[in-house]
Amino acid sequence: MRNVGFAMFLVYWATLAAGAQNSPDVGGGTTILALEHAWDQAQERGDVKALAAIFDNSLIYIDYDGKLLTKAEYLARVKANNTHIQQIVAEEMSVQMFGNTAIVVGSYRVKGVENGKPYLRRGRFTDTWVLTGKNWICVAAAATPILH
Amino acid sequence: MWKLFAVLLVLAPQLTAQVRTALDGDRNRILSLENAWNQAVHQKDTSALKMLLSRDLVYVDFDGKLMDSAAYLASVQSQAIHPERIVSESMNVHLYGAVAVVNGVYRESGTKSGKSYTLRERFTDTWVRQNDSWVCVASQSTLASQ
Repeated sequence: MRNVGFAMFLVYWATLAAGAQNSPDVGGGTTILALEHAWDQAQERGDVKALAAIFDNSLIYIDYDGKLLTKAEYLARVKANNTHIQQIVAEEMSVQMFGNTAIVVGSYRVKGVENGKPYLRRGRFTDTWVLTGKNWICVAAAATPILH
Repeated sequence: MWKLFAVLLVLAPQLTAQVRTALDGDRNRILSLENAWNQAVHQKDTSALKMLLSRDLVYVDFDGKLMDSAAYLASVQSQAIHPERIVSESMNVHLYGAVAVVNGVYRESGTKSGKSYTLRERFTDTWVRQNDSWVCVASQSTLASQ
């Protein structure tokens, strides 16, 4: 049921994105930000079906430890939920538009439990979104721990 | 209708080959630009970098530091850092029309404030075609195990 609701949410935002093509807000920055929040929520819930709809099949995902993951590997990891994510909070997100491409940069905090021990991670991310047809789809995502 | 079908049948392989050639051309161009970027960093050539990078560049360094174009160029010019060897490996280019995403492994070694350093990073760069030229609009690196 959750999946259906979330899928409807995605369709809603995709429709807004399509409408945005005919308006000055082609930037669709709000649409992209909504998709980013939807991504966080889907990951918290382990909602693999919803996440699959957000990513292009050729997704390039660089994890905070420098590991390169394909879409299938990323989804499998979310499904396995070995890191037992409890909360993901995105902070300071900004969107830059370059025609049909959007770059989102921001920072995030993740809280969870791994191997029985609680953890709190803070990182910076960059996501690349491409407008394909009427939908925005994420083609690349990279995370880096904030060490400075 | 038959004639049109026959013409399309004859032209299809040629058109496909032309598209493939164009895509290969873009891929090769972008790989060249990536290597040019490394050379420019090595030589601290900010004029060359300005041609490769968008003024709106978003750059996230391996330590999570966020930089704009000006801050990145200033970091390259830093007199405290002397890169001696810069190599990008295992690069892959994914094309989405006028957008290209490159991922690969970046190795850099040199001296910083008199001390030697070695970095191995996984990077993701996003290039956008603007007026027949490709410019990098976003770059992020993450430390990877040696």
